Amino acid sequence: MITFEGVTKRYPGGTLAVDDLNLEVPDGQTMVLVGPSGCGKTTTLRMINRLIDPTSGRILLDGQDIQQSDPPTLRRGIGYVIQQAGLFPHRTIEDNIGTVPVLIGWGKSKARDRARELMRLVGLDDSLARRYPYQLSGGQQQRVGVARALAADPPVLLMDEPFSAVDPIVRATLQDELLRLQAELHKTIVLVTHDVEEAIKVGDQVAIFRPGGRIAQVDSPERLLTAPADSYVESFLGFDRGIRRLSFLAASGLNLDDTAVISASMPAWEAAEQARRTGEPWLLVTGPDQQPRGWVASDGLRSLPREATAGDAKLSPYGHTFGVSTDSLRAALDATLLSPAGRAVGVDDQGRVVGVTSYERLGAAVEAAGPASDPDADRNAAAAGAAGVAGAAPEASPTGTG
Amino acid sequence: MSFLSYAWDWLKQPAQWHGPDGIPVRILEQLGYTALALLIAALIAIPLGILIGHTGRGAVAVVQLANAWRAIPTLGLLVLLAVTLGFSPLAWLIPLVVLGIPPILVNTYEGVAGVEPEFKDAARGMGMTSWQQIRKVEVPVASPLIILGLRTGAIFVVATATIAAYIGLGGLGRYIIDGLATNNYGEVAGGAALVVLLALAVQFLFVGVRRLAVPAGLRQQARQT
Amino acid sequence: MDWSQVPQLIWENAYLGIVPALIGLVIAVPLGIVCVRWKWLYPPVLSVTSVLYALPSLALFIVLIPYTGLTDTTVIIPLTLFSLCVLVPNVVDGLRSVPEPVRQAATAMGFGTLRRLVQVELPVAVPIVIAGLRVAVVSSISLASVGQLIGVSSLGYLIVDGYQRDFLTEILVGGGLIIALALVCDLLLVLVRRLLTPWRPRRTRRKLPEVVAEPVPVLAGGAR
Repeated sequence: MITFEGVTKRYPGGTLAVDDLNLEVPDGQTMVLVGPSGCGKTTTLRMINRLIDPTSGRILLDGQDIQQSDPPTLRRGIGYVIQQAGLFPHRTIEDNIGTVPVLIGWGKSKARDRARELMRLVGLDDSLARRYPYQLSGGQQQRVGVARALAADPPVLLMDEPFSAVDPIVRATLQDELLRLQAELHKTIVLVTHDVEEAIKVGDQVAIFRPGGRIAQVDSPERLLTAPADSYVESFLGFDRGIRRLSFLAASGLNLDDTAVISASMPAWEAAEQARRTGEPWLLVTGPDQQPRGWVASDGLRSLPREATAGDAKLSPYGHTFGVSTDSLRAALDATLLSPAGRAVGVDDQGRVVGVTSYERLGAAVEAAGPASDPDADRNAAAAGAAGVAGAAPEASPTGTG
Repeated sequence: MSFLSYAWDWLKQPAQWHGPDGIPVRILEQLGYTALALLIAALIAIPLGILIGHTGRGAVAVVQLANAWRAIPTLGLLVLLAVTLGFSPLAWLIPLVVLGIPPILVNTYEGVAGVEPEFKDAARGMGMTSWQQIRKVEVPVASPLIILGLRTGAIFVVATATIAAYIGLGGLGRYIIDGLATNNYGEVAGGAALVVLLALAVQFLFVGVRRLAVPAGLRQQARQT
Repeated sequence: MDWSQVPQLIWENAYLGIVPALIGLVIAVPLGIVCVRWKWLYPPVLSVTSVLYALPSLALFIVLIPYTGLTDTTVIIPLTLFSLCVLVPNVVDGLRSVPEPVRQAATAMGFGTLRRLVQVELPVAVPIVIAGLRVAVVSSISLASVGQLIGVSSLGYLIVDGYQRDFLTEILVGGGLIIALALVCDLLLVLVRRLLTPWRPRRTRRKLPEVVAEPVPVLAGGAR
């Protein structure tokens, strides 16, 4: 656990980079520090491995004041990843990755073995091990940077805008990789970014900084989106907050309709009966493995010959699917919006159809999740309430107008 | 005895300061050869450097030259021309010019080629012809480097002129060569001391030239790098 | 013409050219490191080297005669000083060429200052330092021949002897061998660089090979 106690950093010119910071970074979780330029997030990060020392206050690492450790020793136990990777140009990839192990006394070959292990972990092909940094792409270099930081298996990993220098597609991939790694390794990660979407995507806890080095709110991404502390946080989170919040609601909360689902082997006349009974204009046809095949129009079923099965009918593409146990309400909503019929197919982990959504069902699931708060609205409501109270009977407010 | 005492003993003899072999004469000779050679070298190297820097063609040749010319032995070149051309002034003038050209050429080329593309773009965008771009933008911006090239060229020209006394040239080198031939170390030391002073004086002269010729804004900018 | 002396002369010229450059390197590296660490030292150091560089070699040889006689040392000392003038800026530039993220990463990983210098910064600086070494070696080999005027033996002997005897061939051989020796050493150094820096792209991003700057005269403000 990393603890900041009353940490302040003031530069000689008078600039206050960090102002009386109190923060706890829980073990095994990703804490993202996010905020506008110059808000002190990078300074805060760099105080953890003593690249910068605070003007006042203390920082504790597992209960010990880091000022008591000599910086190089401290740093060998903390992984550090920066935007431009900073790979040593004159060393091979495997030697780059093995840098800290060698530094703490491992033999060269043990370090190289470890390097290969890590390369596999971060998704780099073995053939790259003997190459030099200039031969790798930006995304690959970033992966090497992460591997290098993890080489000595430090409990703490610091990341300073690690994905900002690569293009958006690579960035998304690297973010997913980070989530995968973290699920496996459970390191204590502190990550700095200026991109609030990235913060929400990868963070278990997110600390939003104000300009001037103070924290506006520290919370889980979901609670941030649901209940921002004030209008600064709200505007920092950006518009679309309500919809983005849906990413945190599981699609498993949806009550899916399975009456509109039929097997391809069902006789056409029976399918047509089912369609008439349920009143559904479209039925979803599944194969013998319960995988979705396509939509069949109920009218079309009636015009088929007697011996035909539902699978013989002309099928329309089944469109986008979503994973019932893996995806969010937002993904389900997105799939439904993309479907011309306003119906999206929910599948399980093996791809078998579970059921079908509709706008009504989606609406019900959202309502059940409860409303998000609106700080401005809350404030206005409170003000209106107070005004209302003041205008109403005096007994509501003992001191008269409030 | 130390170098300085040898030199001083010789320099303080009033006889050294008079006559056709006197110190003032030799100083003027050395300055004259240097100035002449530098002028000719500049007339060749500066336009050439501007041309190559502006068009980019022949740049590779310039770079190869920059690395290779240092291999040419000064003494060898002087002696070669003395033997083939006899008593012609070209015997010393050609080596002086040849050894002065590379620094001027390379620095001019680098100065012009190194003008940031934004400036060249702006100039072209404003409708300047190539010639105007060169005159109004590239040369002024490159002027610190051009002057540095001249200054560096002067170093080599002064040194070569000193050695050229071996093939009969006048100037301060005369004292060194004559003194060595007659085992008169006093004369040798005196000559060497004067050469050192002259070389330094020429360098200071160029510092002054830079102050005059380089626009103030550029001078400040260069100082900060 | 007496060809039998030529190998000896080649050896002597090579000696007089390479030794100063190597000694210059040995002095320039620590001096350059100091100038990078304590930035304020660099301008005065540059001023001194640029003054030295402006002085004709023959004059410097002569200045030393009362102290070191007519020996190799009299030639080696000034050539070493000239090599220093070239190499110190190269060491400084080489160290400064280490990208900041690389230096930062090394510190953050727990490298102490000395270890970082030796294991990261100096290796990365090697190409630029070798570029300077090439200039130093080539210049020294060529300048060594001037020492013949004070009787210090080198390939310059062929030039001087050829002049005295009006023997053009001998002069050409002498000059030609000096140039050849210099170019061979230059090529050897390029090879050394290739061996020491397998981590550099073969086709460098810059389209032209690097041009080494003259030692920058910084008497009252240099241009670079």
